[in-house]
This record gives sequence, structure tokens and C-alpha cells, in this order.
Amino acid sequence: MHLDSTEEKLLRGEGGEAKQFAMEIVTNVGDAVGADSLVPIKSAHVLAHYSSLHDAGVDVLERFAESGGKFSVPTSVDPASIDLQNWKSFGIAEEYARQQFRLCDAYAKLGGMRCWTCAQYQVCNFPKEGDTVAWAESSAVVYANSVLGSRSNKITSGMDVACAILGLTPRFGMLNDEKRVASIAFKVTLDRLSDLDYRSIGFFVGRMSGSRVPVLLGLPTGISSDQVKHLGAAAAAAGPVTMIHLPGITPGTRTLSDATRGEEVEQIEVTRSDLAEVESDLNQTSEAPDLVALGVPHLSVNELGELAKVLEGRKLKQGIKMYAYTSSQANDMAERTGISATIEAAGARISHSTDAEISPLKKMGFNVVMTNSAKLAEIVSSEGEIRIRYDSLKRIIEGVTN
Amino acid sequence: MNPVVLKGRGLMKGSAKGEALISQKAFTFAHGVDPSNGNVTDIRSDIRGSNVKGKVLFYPFGKGSTTASAWFLETVRMGNHPSAIVTEGVDLSAVIGSVMAKLIYGKEIPVVSGVERSRYGEIASGEAVLVNADSGEVRALS
Repeated sequence: MHLDSTEEKLLRGEGGEAKQFAMEIVTNVGDAVGADSLVPIKSAHVLAHYSSLHDAGVDVLERFAESGGKFSVPTSVDPASIDLQNWKSFGIAEEYARQQFRLCDAYAKLGGMRCWTCAQYQVCNFPKEGDTVAWAESSAVVYANSVLGSRSNKITSGMDVACAILGLTPRFGMLNDEKRVASIAFKVTLDRLSDLDYRSIGFFVGRMSGSRVPVLLGLPTGISSDQVKHLGAAAAAAGPVTMIHLPGITPGTRTLSDATRGEEVEQIEVTRSDLAEVESDLNQTSEAPDLVALGVPHLSVNELGELAKVLEGRKLKQGIKMYAYTSSQANDMAERTGISATIEAAGARISHSTDAEISPLKKMGFNVVMTNSAKLAEIVSSEGEIRIRYDSLKRIIEGVTN
Repeated sequence: MNPVVLKGRGLMKGSAKGEALISQKAFTFAHGVDPSNGNVTDIRSDIRGSNVKGKVLFYPFGKGSTTASAWFLETVRMGNHPSAIVTEGVDLSAVIGSVMAKLIYGKEIPVVSGVERSRYGEIASGEAVLVNADSGEVRALS
């Protein structure tokens, strides 16, 4: 990879230890993937949750912070492993919380936005069409490439912080036009899609695409940004997908031909039986859940409002907990608009600044988790400690409330 | 008979020896290896129940979460890491984990990619191998 004279100096340590460390990471990555150069980014999104980073991640982030590192572009952060405000009441151990707060402190010292969410594009990080960004969080990368028309690779932990400090990222993959061309097409001809269907469609597309960029036809024209968010998250959980062309939504893609640059590509119809197969693959049990987890990725305030509506007048059954995961910012809005009160009256809770798949569910005492999130189902089930029930919000509510 | 030598491209330099531990399926450290003992826990892995500590770990591709580098680094912090990693495709988690292992813990873990999965069968699981990432060679020692 070619480095200019400024970058060479940083690699030699002339810009301080943090930048040298960051350059070691990005140059090794750049050489590994055959990048030609480093290019500037408009924003970064990094990971700082204890469940994945562990004590080693604390060492890394503190080393960056203590050696004078500062983020040089607007930087947001994925959810923490605990509700940063109400962690005690969610049954988190002191020792566990302490390590998470060390990550929080190091992240703050680096100058990051206190915006702990995996749907940062709905809350605090707003790149525009054509901007290059360096985001971790696979679901957000799909959203950036497919909906915002920004350009991001899926940035691995460790490299995320390096890119944020340098304001640079190696040019490869989705930063190059030719890598963004669709080479497989999917067509949905089903109507009356449920919340679960959007996720299962995404999961199917992600699983079938492999490392190809897909184009997805036939989604309802009125599809919401939240529905696209969950579809993209499911796709990214099922495979390496980082972009889905959505004609009419993806900037520059109005037709199938725009997505494929006029090339003929394989086309797969998404059928009811495909979705049923995804459901049966993700569904591991018919046991009663001890936790219903909603919001992987984070629910928007609109979705919290919809949840409040369906919960109004209902009461959660004994022995079952229901957590709706969201950002601190959406939580504030829900509190001010009475949404939180309605959700709590039903016996459910909002948990903010954290998310289910990165919180210590097993340690919190849960064994069977019910969700409409394909992403949560996929991640949790791979560990084999917790059993998953995957179903639509409507059937979940009918099953767990009176 | 000539000893088996597989040729790839060194992504993280250095050399290391160890017994071969070979997965034919996409692999991840994230929720897939228990850092506290090095056991492979991923229910979808074909080497579930094996232990990566001190091994030369072969797998064709990385998969899953971008946190795999952090999980890898935690196995290093706890001293339960593989001695080297050999892949077919570039797995950035291995590269980044290895860079951080060197910078934070002073451990050198060579990473070689470009070794085709179809050739993994030429090495037996448990056979001693030497990885020289400077030359990109993976050599069976028996």
C-alpha cells in the first residue's frame, strides 16, 4: 500500500504512540487486502462493549487513550454490554459493570460521542450520499451502503478505533465502484409482509448471497426505514453481505439494471417456503421464554411507540420478562411522550444504551429467549448456551401477555 | 517421500511451530472459542470440542462478527491462543488480532493466507507443522 510522507511519519512514530499504533493496524490490513492507499473518512463507528472486547479490549482502548489518542472525525459507538443508567436493576454484577465503565471512560477520553447505539444512523451519525465512512457494526454498514449511499467496509474491532484516530481507512472493497455492482438478484412476490417476514427475507438474502452483492426487488414501496434496518441486519447476520441494492431506495439504483450495470444475473424468487425454512432454522425450542428481547438492532422511538400501542391494556405473564432495547436518545423521547409509561404498565421495560446480543444474558439468568430478531437468534444460538424462539411480534405478544 | 510444503502469503510475519488443528469450515473466535481455555465452542464448527492453544490453526475463511479480533486477542491475553493461523481467504480478524497481540502483549502470531482448503488434507490433524510467514511456507515436520 502506498503511504504519503505524512503517513510515513505517523508510522515511524513522529505523530505519537497512539497514531503509530493505529498506523500499524491500518497498514497491515491495507497490505493484507491489497489496498492501494489510505483515504479520508467523514465519520467512524467503533465497538466498546465488554462482552466481546473482554479485558484485552480494555487494555487496547486504554492504551490508545493513555498514549494521547484522539478521534479525528465524529465517532459514535455500538451499545455497551450493560444499561449504562439502570444496570443494577437489570441484575448486572458490580465487577462486570466496572470493566464496561473502564471502556466507557477510555472511549470518552478518546473524544467519542456518547451515543451508544447500533442504529447510529437514526440517532447521531449522519453521513450523506457519497461519503466514505469507517463503521463497525455489520447492520449499520449495510444501512450506510444500501440506504444512505455512503461507502463503508465492515470494519473489524481494533481497526475501527485506528481509523477513527487517523481519520483514514484503507481503500478496498466497498469503497470501490466495481465492488458495489450487484451480481445476484432476489425477487419478493409475497404480500402482507409481517415484521418477521422482513427479517427472514433479509436472512435468506444474506445466506444465499455469500460474498456477492445482491439486489432485492419487489419490496413494498411504503417500506419504512425501520423495516429496512431489520432486513439489512438479518442479512448481515446470515453472511458477509455489506450492501443490498434496493431499487427506489438505494441512491443511484432505480432499477435492476442500475444495480447490475446492465448485466444479466441469476434471479431467485423468495417464496413462503424459503421464509418458513429460515424460521425453522432459527427457532430452537417451543419452551416458554423467560425473556422476550426486542430491538436487535435498536428500536427507534417510532417502534417503541408501536410497541406501546400493542401492549396497551395487556399485562405480561408471570415469570416472563420483556426488554425493549433502544438508544438513550430514543429512551429520553419515549419518557417525555408517555411511551415508556405505557410499556412499563404492561410489565415490560425499556433498556437503553445496551443491546441483547452483547449483554450477559446467561449471567442475568435467562435460558430461553424469544425474539423477532433474526440477528439475535443467529448470534445467541451459535454459542449454544441459550435457546431461541423466533416469532413475529404479534404472536409473541399473544403468547406472553394476558 | 518429500515432506508436504504448502505455499501461501504471509500477512503477519514470523515463524512458529505447533500441531495442526484443521477446520474445513468458516471459522470465528467470536462466540466460537472460549478465551479462558481455548476450547472451540461454536456449535456450527467441525472442530467443536478441540482446543486451539499452541496449535497451528487452519481454516478456509473467517465468518461472522467483526468482534472476532477482540475475542482472538483475549485468548492471547489469557495465553490460550494458537501459535499460528493458516487460511485460504484473508481473515482480517486474524490479521488485526495478531497486530494487537504484538503491540499490546509482545506476542508474535504468524498469519498466512492463500493456502487452498483443498490442500489441507495433505496434513494430518495433530501432525507437527512449521509456519514460516516470511516465506509464506507451511511445512509438515514428520
